Amino acid sequence: MADASSQLVDIGSDDPQVLLDRFATRGWGDGLPLVAPTPERVDAMLAGSSREPDEVVATLPPRSGVATRRIIAINAVLAGCRPEHLGVLVAAVRALARPEVNLRGVNATTHPVAPLLVVHGEVARTAGYNSGLGAFGPGNLANAATGRALRLMLLHVAGAVPGAGDASTQGGPAKYTYCVAENLLRSPWGGYAASVGVDAPSAVTVHCGEAPHNFHDMESDQPAAILDKAASVMASLGSNNAPVSGAEFFVMLCPEHAAACAAAGWTRGNVASYLHERARMRTGDLRDAFALRAWAPWQETFGDDAGMPITEHPGNIRIVVVGGPGKHSSVIPSWGMTRSATVPVEPEP
Amino acid sequence: MKVYAPDGAVGPSAASLAPPRPVLAGKRIGILDNSKPNAGLLLGRMAERLAARTGASVDVVERKNAALPAPDDMLARLAEAEVVLTGSAD
Repeated sequence: MADASSQLVDIGSDDPQVLLDRFATRGWGDGLPLVAPTPERVDAMLAGSSREPDEVVATLPPRSGVATRRIIAINAVLAGCRPEHLGVLVAAVRALARPEVNLRGVNATTHPVAPLLVVHGEVARTAGYNSGLGAFGPGNLANAATGRALRLMLLHVAGAVPGAGDASTQGGPAKYTYCVAENLLRSPWGGYAASVGVDAPSAVTVHCGEAPHNFHDMESDQPAAILDKAASVMASLGSNNAPVSGAEFFVMLCPEHAAACAAAGWTRGNVASYLHERARMRTGDLRDAFALRAWAPWQETFGDDAGMPITEHPGNIRIVVVGGPGKHSSVIPSWGMTRSATVPVEPEP
Repeated sequence: MKVYAPDGAVGPSAASLAPPRPVLAGKRIGILDNSKPNAGLLLGRMAERLAARTGASVDVVERKNAALPAPDDMLARLAEAEVVLTGSAD
């Protein structure tokens, strides 16, 4: 099934170490062992769909690499994905190519940003994604391999290679794999995708941000006490949200924290509004820290001693329920000049 | 063992660089400051010196956010110059 956009390479051996070495010589791979993308394996990855393998899903910057379904399948095999993960990966690639994501900037920046992939709806259950205990990892094949495959797409197709298309000063562990599923069954507010207008059985969200920052509250069942800790994480000079007020936060509430909020009658929107109100910093401190700011004009009218919301409006605070038993939640700040994108996972007929 | 290459084809580039100008005398120089620290200072000094040495003039100075593409109207103004200096990182 070779075609113009995907050529076969003879690596001369079945030894996995040889595959790793040959790929490394060509600048391919993420440093971890790879599954050989043989024609048989790639065909099996594509076999669950009747769609045209050479259909172009997206063109990914900065390399302007053409992501066909076959190329996506090749990278899925390399990462260890199963065929049932391909639809999620295709949707993720489509989401990353949305203009509001600004993938060129995401890939090129010195910031350690990585696209977080959140899997919503039926496919999370049917394809084995972990939305519960330990959802951010390790230990689940679907989460680990799909997130890894998305990174391999960025390395191989988009050209986000450290030192070439990726200038990240320190890099980051989230650049190996960064995929989680929404805990729909334990979400008191319904699914996240529907809340942003994507009414499909299955969907994915990409949010280009930092690795998760934990906060815990084991002492209170009151939303304000729990969420004040989230607000404290958000109100920091250390994230790009501080100088870029249009940037989003993803607040990944564990089921117990979400249940406490819902039990008090708080909606998802109430949670976001409260965090917007409480996550503030002294305006003068923000001005002193950032000569270069991307703020809304009204923000510049604030006096130095006024409390400035860390993000421009509550709609920038995205609430998703993730995780299992326990009272740990997390905040995922943004890279800044990017917006999250939620798209349906299209059925694979 | 034969395996597929994972990188695929490269699509058409959104834009390509114009060929360099062999002579700068009488040409207009533009500056696209990406707002990184000292980018404007560095590019401005370079343009001034280039203009002084060659007889070119510094005609267009634009400033944009480093993380976003330049807007179309800004690119249109820069297109009035024959040479544009840009590019500075952290």
